[in-house]
Amino acid sequence: MQALWIRLVRRVVGGVVMVLVVTSFTFFLVHVMPGNPVQTELDTLLQQGMSPLQAQAQVRAMYGFVPHAPLYIQYVHYIWQVLHFDLGRSISYSGVPVLHLLMQAMPWTIIMVLTGLLLSFVIGMITGVLAAANRNSQAGDGLSLLATFLHGIPQFMMALLLAYVFTTIWKIFPFGAPYNAAITPGWNGAFVGSLLRHAILPVAAYALSGFGGWALAMRGSVTSVLGEDYIQAAQLRGVSPLIQLRYIARNAILPLFTILTLSIGFMFGGALFIETIFDYPGLGYMMYSALNARDYPLMDGAFLMITIAVIFANIAADVLYSVLDPRIQRF
Amino acid sequence: MAAAPMATRPVNPWNPPSFWQIAWHAVTRKPGRLIGLGILIFYILMAIVGPMLYPRMLPINPSNVYAPPTWAHPLGTDFEGTDVLALIITGSRYVLTSAGLAAFFTVGIGTMLGLISGYFPGLVAGVIMRIADFFLTVPGFPLLVALSTVWHFGSPVSMGLVLGLTGWAGLARAVRSQTLSLRERGFVEAARGLGLTRFEIIVSEIFPNTAPFVAMHFLMAVTGAIYAQVGLFFLGVVPVSTNNWGVMLNLAFSQAGAMYSTRALLYLLSPIACIMSLSLGIVLFLGAVDEMLNPRLRKV
Repeated sequence: MQALWIRLVRRVVGGVVMVLVVTSFTFFLVHVMPGNPVQTELDTLLQQGMSPLQAQAQVRAMYGFVPHAPLYIQYVHYIWQVLHFDLGRSISYSGVPVLHLLMQAMPWTIIMVLTGLLLSFVIGMITGVLAAANRNSQAGDGLSLLATFLHGIPQFMMALLLAYVFTTIWKIFPFGAPYNAAITPGWNGAFVGSLLRHAILPVAAYALSGFGGWALAMRGSVTSVLGEDYIQAAQLRGVSPLIQLRYIARNAILPLFTILTLSIGFMFGGALFIETIFDYPGLGYMMYSALNARDYPLMDGAFLMITIAVIFANIAADVLYSVLDPRIQRF
Repeated sequence: MAAAPMATRPVNPWNPPSFWQIAWHAVTRKPGRLIGLGILIFYILMAIVGPMLYPRMLPINPSNVYAPPTWAHPLGTDFEGTDVLALIITGSRYVLTSAGLAAFFTVGIGTMLGLISGYFPGLVAGVIMRIADFFLTVPGFPLLVALSTVWHFGSPVSMGLVLGLTGWAGLARAVRSQTLSLRERGFVEAARGLGLTRFEIIVSEIFPNTAPFVAMHFLMAVTGAIYAQVGLFFLGVVPVSTNNWGVMLNLAFSQAGAMYSTRALLYLLSPIACIMSLSLGIVLFLGAVDEMLNPRLRKV
């Protein structure tokens, strides 16, 4: 148990260091950008007749640092602000704090992607078990081939295909926007229904492009568990197939939980395409529109947020695995 | 890919089959691999020869927008009246060149750093692995989007370079762990005893043992690079200067309103079909590469 704590502390310290590295990266990214957006913003404000001090204050609020100051002072300022959860202010949303915008976008991403992720996990598990159980027959081969094929289709193509087939060729689902704008948001049946209907395609795109990977991983895991002595012993003892399946599934699913935790981290950034294609106002869409509007503070904020989520999901995966599998107590 | 039982052929130990015989045998043993090879050759020829068949600026025809397929336009026309087939063929060169270069850089950097950090554990290896950790943790696509603001990867070379520079970490890790175990094996010990230099040991003793894995990774990196760059163009992150499949998807999605028109079916589906069949070809061909280079699979 103590080993686990030491491990956890080490990982958290490592994670914090990684967050600092990424923060520095975004800082220098803004700095080497063509046309130096900070300087440009300052010049524009000065031209609009603002006093130099005022202009500097405003630019500082936006980007977290002022031009003209020595680089290391700008850097320290920026890091200091980020440590206080101040990611600057958005340009395209005229002065709204970046963190506020990101917090608004977060629930959309979480709801949509988490549903898609869990759906693909469940379907993938079932397919994987079926493919492993029938691995010497045509049906099993077919399932594996299907999984390999779907695994190879990137998310954006799946999303494009679904969007085109089900909203343009065969108009059974609405396209774009997270809900029907004509309905007032609230806890009423019409709104929730519209929300669900608009979520079906993005979730399906996520689930379909993800489940192949799960199925392949589960198939491999089940196949290796089937070769274990304790399964053969169970077969020889005449344990009923249902209980055998429980033995197998419990052991085979273990390594997949780690991947699941990792995917939960990556989900914050992974839905960039799906959100863009379906106009779903999540984190990925935010990053995309920030990029198009050249809203650098917002873009860097989104990038930072996505990365932090991934780093801490990594740590969670690591810890979870040690808890789930008592055989792993190394550190 | 599971190792299927090999067709048993008597191997004459005095006259071992040449590499090309082995390669040919590995490819023709399964029909899927032949199909994969065929697809690859088809697209490579398209990328080499195709653009020569068309003028630099493809003609547009505003009075023939979204035309259905005819003999003159086998895949119909796009929103400007340009032949979709011509767009596909001329666009293939960029896609294949940059994907090939990206895989080359990925594999080159990854293998080199993996071998070095595996054979010389110490400070340098530690630094290399920390950098690899950085690239493995930071989500790749958002990183590319963020990088695109400072780095204009419009040309195939710079696109390949940026994909290689961000994509090498996984391979470096795998090669490093293989090297760590290989350097303790008897044959490496023997080579050391014979007085071979470290460089010779790494290049001629350790590297060939990682080669099958590296070659497979090369093909996977090609697929990954195709998806990544098509994705970047699709998002419009990279300034649209050339014609390629990603740009086609971008224009179809964001500007031409093809998403809302059933007439644009072929225009939208053609690049998707190309990307998917190309990656299918690569996946089908993978097993053959493994068998060609992996002596353990060959002499069963």
